[in-house]
Amino acid sequence: MATMRRKAVPYLLISPTVALIAAFLVYPIGSVAYYSLQNRNLTRPWADGFAGLENFRRMLFEDELFWHSLGFTAKWVIVEVGLQLLLGLALALIVNESFIGRALARSLVFSPWAVSGVLTTGIWILLYTPGTGVLRFLGRPEAAVLGNPDTVFPAVIVAELWRGVPFFAILLLAGLQGIPGELYEAASVDGAGRLRRFRHVTLPQLRDAIVLATLLRSVWEFNNVDLLYTLTGGGPAQVTTTLPLYVAQRAVDSKDFGYGSALTMAGFVILLFCSILYLRLSRFGAQR
Amino acid sequence: MKIRTAWAAFAVLALAAGGCGSGSGSDDGSGKTTITFWDNNGGARTPVYQELIKRFEQANPTIHVEYVGVPIASVQQKYDTAVAGGDTPDVGGVTTSYLANLVGQQALEPADDWLAKSPVNGKLAKPMLDSVRATVPDGKLYLVPNTSNMDVVWYLKDLLPTPPGTWDEFFTDADTLTKAPDQYGYTIRGGAGSIFQVLAEMYSYSGISEFFDATGKSTVNDPKNVEFLTKMASLYKKDTPEADVTNDFPKMVAQFGTGKIAMMHHNLGSYNDHVKAHGADKIGAFALPAGPSGKRTIVANPVDGFAVFKNSAHKDAAWKFVEFLVSKESNSYWNSKTGQIPANTEAQTDSWVAALPHLKTAVDTLADPGTTVVSPPYYLPQFSSITKADTEPLFQKVLLGQMKPQAFLDTLAQKLTDAQAEWKKAHGG
Repeated sequence: MATMRRKAVPYLLISPTVALIAAFLVYPIGSVAYYSLQNRNLTRPWADGFAGLENFRRMLFEDELFWHSLGFTAKWVIVEVGLQLLLGLALALIVNESFIGRALARSLVFSPWAVSGVLTTGIWILLYTPGTGVLRFLGRPEAAVLGNPDTVFPAVIVAELWRGVPFFAILLLAGLQGIPGELYEAASVDGAGRLRRFRHVTLPQLRDAIVLATLLRSVWEFNNVDLLYTLTGGGPAQVTTTLPLYVAQRAVDSKDFGYGSALTMAGFVILLFCSILYLRLSRFGAQR
Repeated sequence: MKIRTAWAAFAVLALAAGGCGSGSGSDDGSGKTTITFWDNNGGARTPVYQELIKRFEQANPTIHVEYVGVPIASVQQKYDTAVAGGDTPDVGGVTTSYLANLVGQQALEPADDWLAKSPVNGKLAKPMLDSVRATVPDGKLYLVPNTSNMDVVWYLKDLLPTPPGTWDEFFTDADTLTKAPDQYGYTIRGGAGSIFQVLAEMYSYSGISEFFDATGKSTVNDPKNVEFLTKMASLYKKDTPEADVTNDFPKMVAQFGTGKIAMMHHNLGSYNDHVKAHGADKIGAFALPAGPSGKRTIVANPVDGFAVFKNSAHKDAAWKFVEFLVSKESNSYWNSKTGQIPANTEAQTDSWVAALPHLKTAVDTLADPGTTVVSPPYYLPQFSSITKADTEPLFQKVLLGQMKPQAFLDTLAQKLTDAQAEWKKAHGG
């Protein structure tokens, strides 16, 4: 009896976690997987029922918008995360130096991260408003940057950069502060200049921080809904529709939950695959 | 590590799958019955409901009404979520544009038996009741009409002393009123809600009186409609702001509010916004002009009213509230504040109706025997998603010159024709 009780203790201890994971992860994911195999459209209740792989066939072979949104998502993630990494690293290096007013500079660098997503878009909507927005200082007061397919991409990239760069700056600054000073001293003694110290000490030491921040940010940018949804709604004419936005349009606006679930599963598999691949290639956490 | 990554991805998906809802009414133990009421267009008209609820609670001290103002842009989604989660309100504002969808989900309680015994029986406008009944397959009254609306073009009297009588005059006016750098003759609704307005404009121009021909084919891509859309789309950026391509209701009204736009197509519902921005004496409204045929044709607006939800535990209290809202006094108060057409026929004869020029224009147009009213297929549960999510982005392509008006209307017509055929088949037609 006592042995049994002792055996049960670990299971008892992890049971709250298991219950939470089951309730908040397994069940929702299971239900999305289930609905992806169903016809479930609120506007066509008479056609509801088992669909097999029909939703996936439609998605892969008939739906141009799926491929378009996937292509835009890739472009969005690569450009956004790439620029955020570069600018975030530059900012982290700057605020890691000692200078007067460094504390204030650090606070300013990090402050956009503290602003909520919807508020961020509110600010950028005002900045981009024709007539009263920032473009009147560029001599084109009536230009609608968010309504023009040629300018909307750079416009949303800039808005998201404003919010995303601090995230990289925070994580990379923490990484920078963890690099032992002796390494730099040793490198200096060996005759390494500023650039070589950066290349051979800073970057290798920051590798894990860079990999983690890039991965997290890529997943977030892939799933970014708030900024694009409120800033452009995926428009004009769907040029800024990412896969999650497309899911929202099909499932929520068109009420086609079966097809929306199939799209969600596609996004899920893509993210899972990319994450595993990225971590393998970067050998995250490997002992050096 | 693989597992950790998998969990990260799982977490993202789980967050995406989250939802929310709002509770239905309850008995709070004090002997008072609480019913929840969802306003389907919360915002500007919230104070109107707050006043009516205050009056209702004074007359019915045992009932407490909890008001929830739902923004019009997300109301359908909110209802769908509530129905799916079994968490609907007791009473809700519902329009015929998504009534069929809610009835299809068996979410609403028919009002026929209740109305037969009610003092408001016989006092609600018959065309509105007919319109509600025509929206659902079983012909029952799932929505008690509160108000009706009509599309009009709002204009600034300072800029346009005489409103145009025909669409040709309208296009001329839009052009002459446009002056560089930032004065525009017209504003196009290119964002959310664009398709309904385009439909109303096209049919008023073409004078076509049915949405489907005898064979069940949509008339949307009729050559006269294509002709109109080609003319209208050519105004974009020439006589309208560039930002119009993403214009939804708030943006469009805000633009008109700046005084830089001479004409704006919407409906009677935005009257208060224009009064606030310009003053009542500065604005005018005209019914959508006639096309080359000279025939006055208007597309019927959805009827807006109240529905009691099947899930309600307090249906009697809910009906009492609905009855109060559509009674002469409340209905008159509500419509006088919002500037729309009352459903209660006694309220329609109130002096304020004739005193509001835009409303008189609407009532006169609707009452004119020469006016043809085209009814959109609100009974198709897909009508709303076809005219919003499916085709709004395509209309933006038309404005941006990426899609020809003919191709756009062919696509829209095909979707409507298919939906009509499928609906007929599903309902044994």
